[in-house]
Amino acid sequence: MKRAHKYLPIFPVLFAYGALLGYGLFFPGKWQLVSQLAFYCTLGQAFNLFMGMTGYVDFGYVAFMGVGTYGMAISIYHLSDKGLGLGIIVIGLILAAVFSTLLSLAVGAVALRLRGAYFAIATIGVNEGFRYLIEGARIWNGSEGMIFTRHMKQALGKPAAMAIGTFWADIMMFGIAILAAVLTLIYMRNKVGYALTALREDEDAAKVMGINVTKYKIIAFITSSVLAGLLGATAWALKLQYVYPEDVFEIHYTVEAIIIVLLGGAGTLLGPIVGGLIYGITKYYLAIVLPGFQLLIFAPIIVAIIVLFPEGTIGILKQKVMGTPLQKYII
Amino acid sequence: MPLLKCENVTKRFGGLVAVDDMSFTIDHGEMMAIVGPNGAGKTTMFNLINGVFPADEGTIHFEDVDVTHFPAHKRAHLGMGRTFQIPRPFASATVQENIAIGAMFGAAGSEISVDEAMEMADHYIDLIGLADHRDKPAGGLTPIEKKLVEIARALAMKPKLLLMDEAMAGMNPNDIDEMVSFIKDIRESEGIAIVAMVEHIMRAVAGLAERVIVMHQGALLVDEPTKEALTDPRVIEVYLGKPAEEFDA
Repeated sequence: MKRAHKYLPIFPVLFAYGALLGYGLFFPGKWQLVSQLAFYCTLGQAFNLFMGMTGYVDFGYVAFMGVGTYGMAISIYHLSDKGLGLGIIVIGLILAAVFSTLLSLAVGAVALRLRGAYFAIATIGVNEGFRYLIEGARIWNGSEGMIFTRHMKQALGKPAAMAIGTFWADIMMFGIAILAAVLTLIYMRNKVGYALTALREDEDAAKVMGINVTKYKIIAFITSSVLAGLLGATAWALKLQYVYPEDVFEIHYTVEAIIIVLLGGAGTLLGPIVGGLIYGITKYYLAIVLPGFQLLIFAPIIVAIIVLFPEGTIGILKQKVMGTPLQKYII
Repeated sequence: MPLLKCENVTKRFGGLVAVDDMSFTIDHGEMMAIVGPNGAGKTTMFNLINGVFPADEGTIHFEDVDVTHFPAHKRAHLGMGRTFQIPRPFASATVQENIAIGAMFGAAGSEISVDEAMEMADHYIDLIGLADHRDKPAGGLTPIEKKLVEIARALAMKPKLLLMDEAMAGMNPNDIDEMVSFIKDIRESEGIAIVAMVEHIMRAVAGLAERVIVMHQGALLVDEPTKEALTDPRVIEVYLGKPAEEFDA
């Protein structure tokens, strides 16, 4: 494969996000929906980088989003009167990345020694444990949470704070989604990706082939966690401008991430986008058509799709386009 | 200096001594077979040599490096390759990618780029005659094709020692003869030591190995040139039992 060809699949990704963004910008009243869809796509894209590429299911994933949200909250809450302007958001993003990296190192050092179901069970505890730690030890205001709407207005002025919450946070989310997709593609096309494929398929055989599986698992784990932290910092902290531990350490979001990745196709580049759109749109319209019953209807739909198409939408599409010119674009 | 030197290697699983005080050496470029009946400890011995799990006692040296406490991937970097009894290619990766993974992470891996590894893979695909399957996922191959992919993948690692776990199990005599001559060819062309593990296909042992180690109940029974080993009364007894007239009535 020629060097330039290797990165062609980034074009469908950019096209999809561009189309979604365009839809939100040019169709009045749709921004809320677009923001929601972008959130699901980004969540899937970030989660896929670890779960899809390694086959490990991290049930504590939302904890990384949680600490990322706190990273941004702390920056705005404590630095709003320092005259840093937009600098507090930059510092917030850095704190979000640092917090999620530290947590992923701590979790990874223990849980990545475990495999399969044991890993999944160990990580469930992370999420709950962290929430109770914050509440019980009254770290970062404990269960009272942090409300920083006022701080944001103080630091940036009222119009800017509003614009960030309703528009620019979403644009940043698009940026994180594209960053996640670019990183996924770079990993796929380099040794990291081949190592992850090998260890996903057969970890013992991978070791015998000379692959330092621990190293590559940690690379994927940290990357995925930092993206989650950044997502929390933008989609939650900047948009809502408050944070409560019971809101952000909510396992429900991990389950959504798993569903999105499976719907789209685990370990594929385009899968999380397709999965995020299917999930987000179905959920949105079911809530309008059958309010109150949406989850009851939604659950069997998801089960049916995953049973019928275990490789996900993109997995199927990949087989269909094999041998055609489209093959270069769909991965 | 031998290529591999095992001294008093022991492995226990709970109360079971799976490998019991094994000592032997393997020379550069040697063609050797480890044989023994089911449960003799052959696979455990393989796993100890290439570091799937550590030995409880004893030492293992590879080219004078004490690798007793090295993890599997470090031993691979030093030049140990391995195939499994039931082939374990990476199912979703293509044949080319499978073999390229061997080149990328094996003994020469750190200096080889992804593109170079893909080119190297093509060489080995031609060697095993699977050029038509180059871009197919390895999961869809026949068992023998999978076995060949696994051998190619191990060879692409550029090992000095190749451990082959039951390369001929489940094959008919014709396939066995072909596999024996194939293994001999790659040993010539690659100039590597090969240790083949064989449970009971003596046709393969006789055709392949210059020296045979027979294991019985975890311990070393004989370590002899092939011809002597296969006619050794102790070996025959392990496989077939004693002749009836030797038992006291």
